[in-house]
Amino acid sequence: MKADAVRQKAFSMPLHSPTYPPGPYRFIDREFMIITYRTDCAALERVVPKPLEIVDPVVKYEFIRMPDSTGFGDYTESGQVIPVRFAGEMGGYVHAMFLDDDPPIAGGRELWGFPKKLAFPSLRVERDTLLGTLDYGPTRVATGSMGYKHKPVAREAVLKALAEPGFLLKIIPHVDGTPRICELVRYRLGDVSLKGAWTGPAALELYPHALAPLTDLPVLEVISGVHLIADLTLSLGEVVHDYLAK
Amino acid sequence: MEPADVVKNAFAMPLTSPSFARGPYRYINREYLIITYRTDRAALEEAVPEPLTFDEPLVRCEFMRMESSTGFGRYSGAAQDIPVRFNGQPGSYTHIRYLDVYAPISGGRELWGFPQKLAKPSLAVEHDTLVGALDYGPVQVAKGTMGYKHRSVADDAVLRTISEPRFLLKIIPHVDGKPRICELVRYFHRDIVLHGAWTGPCSLELHSHALAPLTDLPVREVVSGIHLITDFTLPHGEVVHDYLA
Repeated sequence: MKADAVRQKAFSMPLHSPTYPPGPYRFIDREFMIITYRTDCAALERVVPKPLEIVDPVVKYEFIRMPDSTGFGDYTESGQVIPVRFAGEMGGYVHAMFLDDDPPIAGGRELWGFPKKLAFPSLRVERDTLLGTLDYGPTRVATGSMGYKHKPVAREAVLKALAEPGFLLKIIPHVDGTPRICELVRYRLGDVSLKGAWTGPAALELYPHALAPLTDLPVLEVISGVHLIADLTLSLGEVVHDYLAK
Repeated sequence: MEPADVVKNAFAMPLTSPSFARGPYRYINREYLIITYRTDRAALEEAVPEPLTFDEPLVRCEFMRMESSTGFGRYSGAAQDIPVRFNGQPGSYTHIRYLDVYAPISGGRELWGFPQKLAKPSLAVEHDTLVGALDYGPVQVAKGTMGYKHRSVADDAVLRTISEPRFLLKIIPHVDGKPRICELVRYFHRDIVLHGAWTGPCSLELHSHALAPLTDLPVREVVSGIHLITDFTLPHGEVVHDYLA
């Protein structure tokens, strides 16, 4: 293949059968269970990269079902998001995410910088309970639960939260192992169509694992749970801070 | 975390629990079934990026078992490698590769540029047969077989092939979707110990799949098969051509 053609075709590896296609990435009936909990302030300070600011010692633990996602298919995700402030605006810093599907892991890591690993999350209705679990190999590392659709939540509050930007720390090494890309990336969800949002009694337990260290941000107190279903588009990102800039 | 600490700790995502370890990456008892086959010259011309060239239209379909690899664990792989030349020197170019564990998939892609996807490869002895297979989801896309250790192969020829330079096309996009990295990368296997190499009757079949298009390099004739067990270290790579320069 001619070098010019390589350059024009280059988007994702392998060149001739990219692991993920170019977007837009539209999600239909994306279902979230988000359990907000209070954690240890010192633990948060160890993991949130400046210039992001911690506002409260709070973590959002999320279980997300994505049954219909353009280019990515049908998959499930689970992980920790930390509410932060950047340039005066509130947003969520994605600390760790675990998925069961290759294109969104590879695309998430390489395009935006989502800190994603392969594991086995699930979100499902078990009789009266909305149940989220995360297994790393055969080991359970998270269990979250909520009463199923006990009380509706005001749409405005949910839409406002979904409109906040997300922040990521994109790191890609050079072939010699030195950092090649080390950037703070901001992204947004667009064209949000909220189909419903509910709250109810919520519980969350995290368990230790060497490679899925969710318990580094321990659960001190569960604050709230929200269950929501929405269509939305994940936009490409923008670099808001370059850690390697001289 | 202070920005200076971010830079100091930055190796792989997530920052505080990297998806892959820093190496060195040492493989013990890495086992291969490699079936070399003839394909269409036009298909290879499309697959092999300049400035790499090739002589004969050959492909190596590889099934591999990584029993013990530092930082990556225990996993299996399947790949299509193409014998190529770079500045006249023989080597091999990895066209596509499938693994069943994510640490080496993410590390392979992001560090060197291995064109790796998640699937279910396997390499196992079934009574008298060494069987390599690749399933993508529930669909079988490759199966290779070989009579188990029928004849040993001379060590020097095998060592020469294992020692050849290897090439990858590393592609990483920018956050806006444009190519950020598009480089031809070269690496070598180092500190090689060959535990054995064998040949015997062999077969290979490939089946079509939208996301595992092995049949884009169709099997016209099986040329030879080799089974080998080796230890080696996978060092970092070097950029030998920058397509964006």
